[in-house]
Amino acid sequence: MKKRWPGFLLILVLLAAWEGASAAHLIDSLTFPRVTVIFESWWRSLVTQGELTRQLMPSLGRIFMGFALAAIVGVPLGLLMGTISMVYRLLEPITEFIRPIPSSAYIPVAILFLGIGNEMKVFVVFLACMFPILLNTYGGVRGVDPVLIDTGRTFGLSRTRALWQIILPAALPSILTGMRISLGIALIVAVVAEMITGNSGIGYFILDMQRIFRVPEMFAGIFTLGLLGFLINFIFLRLEGYFLRWRGTSVET
Amino acid sequence: MSEIATASAGAVDPRLGPPIIEVRQAVKRFTVNGQPMTVFDGLSCSIEQGSFLSIVGPSGCGKSTLLKLISGLEPATDGEILFNGNRVDGPASGMIYVFQQYTKSIFPWRTVIENVAFGLQSHRKKLSAKEADDLCRHYVKLVGLEGYENFYPYQLSGGMQQRVVIARALICEPEVLLMDEPFSAVDALTRAILQELVLKIWQTIPVTILFVTHDVEEAVFLSNRIISLSKAPARINDDVSIDLAYPRDQIATRGQDHFHALSQRLFSSIFLQEKAGHADPQV
Repeated sequence: MKKRWPGFLLILVLLAAWEGASAAHLIDSLTFPRVTVIFESWWRSLVTQGELTRQLMPSLGRIFMGFALAAIVGVPLGLLMGTISMVYRLLEPITEFIRPIPSSAYIPVAILFLGIGNEMKVFVVFLACMFPILLNTYGGVRGVDPVLIDTGRTFGLSRTRALWQIILPAALPSILTGMRISLGIALIVAVVAEMITGNSGIGYFILDMQRIFRVPEMFAGIFTLGLLGFLINFIFLRLEGYFLRWRGTSVET
Repeated sequence: MSEIATASAGAVDPRLGPPIIEVRQAVKRFTVNGQPMTVFDGLSCSIEQGSFLSIVGPSGCGKSTLLKLISGLEPATDGEILFNGNRVDGPASGMIYVFQQYTKSIFPWRTVIENVAFGLQSHRKKLSAKEADDLCRHYVKLVGLEGYENFYPYQLSGGMQQRVVIARALICEPEVLLMDEPFSAVDALTRAILQELVLKIWQTIPVTILFVTHDVEEAVFLSNRIISLSKAPARINDDVSIDLAYPRDQIATRGQDHFHALSQRLFSSIFLQEKAGHADPQV
């Protein structure tokens, strides 16, 4: 953390430059309101009046719900694909076909099946999070060293116990990487889905504020997303550092 | 008095029992890059209980493959391996394989004591938590890692990691320990210390050790019998009884003329084969 102060200083300098340029009307103060104005409306919409907070909660709910479902389905499926070649042969083609489709392209289809409510957004987040988790789990399992597998065999471990005691922990770094990638994607997809359906969530809030020309609130929403992404990643890296403390390499936060 | 004197002088090995492992007409064929390769074409040998048997031979002769066949980790193409009179087909309980690549065999997510406990969990289940913990600590101590119980493998040197792997194997009380070049990746001094450790363990607990090494002097120092394999398809080129007194000492034993004579005899036959192999354009 200590070595990162130049980066934080740069952010402050840029914000100050923005503030100055807007105050001096060097940039259009309607499109780029002064930073102090943005922070003021941020405070208001987040704390005093709470309209941003009210929209933030459903977004967080669907991000974590979709992510959790993806982990619950993706990790076991990835373990099965990595350990049982029949499952791999069955699922690999369909995975390779669905995976390259940008997750936002599912949204129109999902609306047809699930409407524009919360279920649809959770589903889209789930689908988008699934593939990084699935593929990283599968890749992690395939990458387990044969010597480690043979070590389990020489100790007479059953296949089930080898899965729990050897394959899962050995693949854990890769699984966690998949989860971290997914969390970033979850945020993007949730916001896009909310913008398209336009009824709730921070994505809806940002678009709505832009439409009714409450530009400071729009920026407040965007800053909130930035901060949220940063916090989620920060917390996840801490968790990763804890679960992978046996690797002995300090994780960059 | 005289009995004690004889014991301390150390007979070759008073503990040799009936054959525990019998290799009968073992055949092993591989396909390497589409080329069929015969490693063994009817190899037979018999290993007595309580032996410290080393397998030496030129590189690529199938020393490790023989160990893998005996362990049941790899199936023989033909012939059979008997362990206590029972045919080996799959990893047999009672035999533990110690891999050359200890860094890949140790569980990096488990601490020293947890790695050792893994061996215990996989074999004996009827212990209370306290008894299990005491037993793990005993084996950690046996390999000289007292005080390092809660260290993760990344915090240990290579020699210490190999000690963990040995403790994890010993806690299962295996009848046979199969060691595949276990000390080839550690420095010379650590190797000498680990050799003494393994000898001490072999003399303390009833275990048969099969030891693969490319280092002839290591084999002579440790074993009571050495099998020297020829190049593939390997047959037994030499079967030498090592009649140096136990307990052996890194300095005293290695200083004996007989030690050098034995090493010389084994080394020259392996070296000549290795050299002949290098003239071969295939190598």
